[in-house]
Amino acid sequence: MKNYVKIARIQRELTQQQLAEKVGITRQTVSLIEKGKYNPTLKLCLSICDVVNKSLDELFWVEKEERME
Amino acid sequence: MIKKIKDERLKLQNLQNIRILFLFENIAIIGILGYDLVTKGMDGMTANPLWYVFILTGVISAYLSMGISVDHESSKKSPKKGLVISVIVSAIIAIVFGGLITFTGDISTGILVGGIVFVSFLVPSIYIYFLRTKRQN
Repeated sequence: MKNYVKIARIQRELTQQQLAEKVGITRQTVSLIEKGKYNPTLKLCLSICDVVNKSLDELFWVEKEERME
Repeated sequence: MIKKIKDERLKLQNLQNIRILFLFENIAIIGILGYDLVTKGMDGMTANPLWYVFILTGVISAYLSMGISVDHESSKKSPKKGLVISVIVSAIIAIVFGGLITFTGDISTGILVGGIVFVSFLVPSIYIYFLRTKRQN
């Protein structure tokens, strides 16, 4: 599912590896989340929000019509 | 050194791998038991320790799936009513089994078999009752 993790990560000047280390996951998982190929748990979503200093809405909210993509 | 996996995606992947392993093991066990059945007959198959592994896995799987089916139930009937019905049904089945054995054999075997059948039906019924009451709270 579409999300704004990549944009937020770049804004914070973090690499996928750095974000992964801060959250405690692997770089591959970060990559899959950014591509929308892995659905993270709410717990992981919140951890990512904490690291990039954004709200859950800002990172993961997508309009209903776009969700099916 | 092997690090503990913290990544949730990999944990999930690991569980899915275990599911494949479980399938493989089960197929292998069924294959071995099937081979025993063909070459050594029914007694030869049940003498194999794998038979107990297979039966116990079946029992554990049945109990585990009870926890899932209880959550899946849509009716709001009271757990106590269900338990009473189960106990009555178990008693009837036990009496029928015990009675049949008593007619064909002796009364002590009849009571023993009836008792075993009753307990075998009673234990899952009590377990379901506990699951249902726990879910209601």
